[in-house]
Amino acid sequence: MIPQLSWYLALSAVLFTIGVVGVMIKRNVIAMFMCIELMLNAVNLTFVAFSSFFHDISGQLFVFIVMTVAAAEAAVGLGIIIAIFRNRESLDVDDASTLKL
Amino acid sequence: MTGILFILFAGLAIGCATSMVVQRNPLYSAISLIGVFISLACLYVMLAAPFIAAVQVIVYAGAIMVLVVFVIMLLNVEEEERRPLRLRFLIPVAVILAAIFFAETAFIIYFVQASPVTLSRNVSDVGLTSSIGGGLFTTYLLPFEITSILLLMAIVGAMTLARSGGLLSSRAAVVPGDQVFSKELLDRREPGDLSAVTTHTTKEAAQLLGVDKGTK
Repeated sequence: MIPQLSWYLALSAVLFTIGVVGVMIKRNVIAMFMCIELMLNAVNLTFVAFSSFFHDISGQLFVFIVMTVAAAEAAVGLGIIIAIFRNRESLDVDDASTLKL
Repeated sequence: MTGILFILFAGLAIGCATSMVVQRNPLYSAISLIGVFISLACLYVMLAAPFIAAVQVIVYAGAIMVLVVFVIMLLNVEEEERRPLRLRFLIPVAVILAAIFFAETAFIIYFVQASPVTLSRNVSDVGLTSSIGGGLFTTYLLPFEITSILLLMAIVGAMTLARSGGLLSSRAAVVPGDQVFSKELLDRREPGDLSAVTTHTTKEAAQLLGVDKGTK
């Protein structure tokens, strides 16, 4: 029993859906942030699976760049979260529904 | 054998992801997310991509999650409290739409499986560090450089966001080479005045601050 490409794609779709559901039902900013990371990882799995099955290196390079973007996003996103917390004393997105900090 | 391993790691990934969404304490969510990252790294190894697997563990499970856990502990996040459900009338609509979506997905997967195209996996050097480095510094050199600029912007942005207040007002225009003080710093009688006082030389600055005793 050897894993087919479709297995990996199905797993990636399931993980991405769980991430989307998390972003929609969570109210804590940090939890939403982690769900976005999960969605990025699901897409990475698709890239690596295609790259491995088609013997093309480009997919893994894209994954490398996606990881860099995720790291940058983590730095800036957590900075924004700290700024929101400092002004609102809360991490609930409903308390920060106006764009004014 | 590889099929059993795939099912093991895929189950672990889905279980950890579900637990991450269900948990109310953000710290438990973060630890579940680390489980997802580790099992995805194992899947990358099975896909013959050892470099990406190593980077996944180092960057995601290491760096990013340490940052997230650090912020969770710094802000002392409490558990999410339950709130009354609004928009309750939309639940049946959501169930119907989800059923349609799953039917569509099953339809597509069935016809993709029925098509005769099969992909072979034979040994190649795709996924090894040398081939990734070769691609990164030849074909994809421009994206690589753009990524470095993006990281620089992230550093500057994070520092700007996390800085507390500042000694100058946001309207202060600063020329490079000048030395700038806030008025509050120079004159104790005006606390809270953050407008800028500019000097052009170090000596002038020392006179303004009152530390110019030695040269008199």
